Amino acid sequence: MEVESPEQLQRKQTTYLSFGENFEIQKEVYRGQQYSQIYFARLHWMRALLYSLVPNWKSHLPVCTILGLEEGTECIIVGTLYKHMKLKPCILDEYSKERSVAPLVKPHNFMNQDDYLVLEDESGRVKLGGTVLSPSVYVTGVVVALHGKETSAGVFFVEDVLEAGLPPQIERPLKSREDKYVVLVSGLSIGSSSSNPLQFQLLVDHITGHLGDEEEQGLVAEIVHLVIAGNSVEISRGILSGQNLASKDQSRLSEPFKELDIQLTQIAASLPLDIMPGSSDPANFSLPQQPLNRCLFPGSATFNTFRSCTNPHCFELDNIRFLGTSGQNIDDLTKYSEAKDKLDFLERTLRWRHLAPTAPNTLGCYPFTDRDPFLIDSCPDVYFVGNQEKYGTRLVKGSEGQSVRLISIPRFCETGVAVLLNMRNLECHALTFGTQFSS
Amino acid sequence: MATTSRNIKVFYKQKKNTTTSTAKKSTKNPSHKDAAATFGSDITQATALASHGGSVDLKDDFDEEEKVLAQFDMNMAYGPCLGISRLPRWERAQRMGLNPPEEIESLLKGGKVRLECLFEGRV
Repeated sequence: MEVESPEQLQRKQTTYLSFGENFEIQKEVYRGQQYSQIYFARLHWMRALLYSLVPNWKSHLPVCTILGLEEGTECIIVGTLYKHMKLKPCILDEYSKERSVAPLVKPHNFMNQDDYLVLEDESGRVKLGGTVLSPSVYVTGVVVALHGKETSAGVFFVEDVLEAGLPPQIERPLKSREDKYVVLVSGLSIGSSSSNPLQFQLLVDHITGHLGDEEEQGLVAEIVHLVIAGNSVEISRGILSGQNLASKDQSRLSEPFKELDIQLTQIAASLPLDIMPGSSDPANFSLPQQPLNRCLFPGSATFNTFRSCTNPHCFELDNIRFLGTSGQNIDDLTKYSEAKDKLDFLERTLRWRHLAPTAPNTLGCYPFTDRDPFLIDSCPDVYFVGNQEKYGTRLVKGSEGQSVRLISIPRFCETGVAVLLNMRNLECHALTFGTQFSS
Repeated sequence: MATTSRNIKVFYKQKKNTTTSTAKKSTKNPSHKDAAATFGSDITQATALASHGGSVDLKDDFDEEEKVLAQFDMNMAYGPCLGISRLPRWERAQRMGLNPPEEIESLLKGGKVRLECLFEGRV
């Protein structure tokens, strides 16, 4: 019987470019500024953009500032939307003597029929009326152009809205690529009671090629990158009570990280991986979250395939641009607006050209003075959001030929689903791992 | 109210034209000194305004360069003036393509003027 030497399967390679400098805050200096600066930067940038789009939309109408509005004259105004919400939690509610409208039990969504929109620019603000602009769709912080006229009641009656639309996309060369796959996963929640270590181990074994026959391994060799989109660990709240930790509690605190590091070492030894912080990870609370410290990963950080990234994260693999977050921006939109599908929120943020319009209003954000790093100036090819309830995907087409694959990555600890994206045609499908044994 | 409105104009100068005629300057200076003398005496609202800064440097408020810089602070086109120093705000306006006047930059880099905005420490 002859012994065949097994052929060595080589994993495919890609070129990687990071665009994360935009989201890093090491160079920022806090001088006591408030959020007016970031709103000014956002309005300035978006207004310049909208002014360039207005001639193609309605060139016959004059553009004016809010203070320059004249009653009865049809015109176009550009400004930042503010949504007044009765049920929005306010710190002052604690001090109000009478029982306010806000119920004691906070609902998951703060919308109310009486919500109304206001448009603001540096000169003033005006309440918006009419049915074209729906308060259930828009949120505070979106910059739009509005066509309408001021009524005698001092309300601006909106007849039409212009959103910035999808940003321009860099043309990708259409050469026939080979199949290369990217795995996107989020919500591992190692350390929580709901996470199943076997499930994650299955994922790791599958990606590193330890499972299956040669055909299976051949398919796996086409996986070129792994992105972990936040919430990789969950530290049980019971330990963090504000008291000094006993040594046994200290080891309980560090166990999820040790477990994660062991798994990431296995992965990093096999393929490049990016890990993003999420809302439950030990990173700063406000967006943009800074990369997780490499000290947390003593084993895996030694590999050059291991990359700790910011949240939001923007990178390019073989000239395909990826942009995504760990979910805080979409979760905030879910609280303050409504849509049939999470992917609708994702699409809206792309059309508004802003990753997190509710920052800094209801979403924690660093008070930048001279720029708004969440503005999307170049259309990504893949736009993902992590830590959602279920997997979903959609291909969005823009008016200038842009094409974006939207992906909603579900929480792995709850669903056992990771997402596999084919870089050749941007198709994606779910990779499900189950550990139930039917007896 | 009539006397305090003179003081309010000092703090919240918002002239639409940037040219200040010399005739205006000469009439304003003596009246400022009068107002200064009555700070805190019988005009209750004036005391409220003055009580913020322990040391209200009167000379600083009224000289020519400070007026020009106060105009720059108040100009809404360059964004909010609070929370950012005058020179970084000028540089930001420059980067954004708003073409702020060059003389402001030379004034700020020349020293001798307040580098913080009009309201710094008072709000």
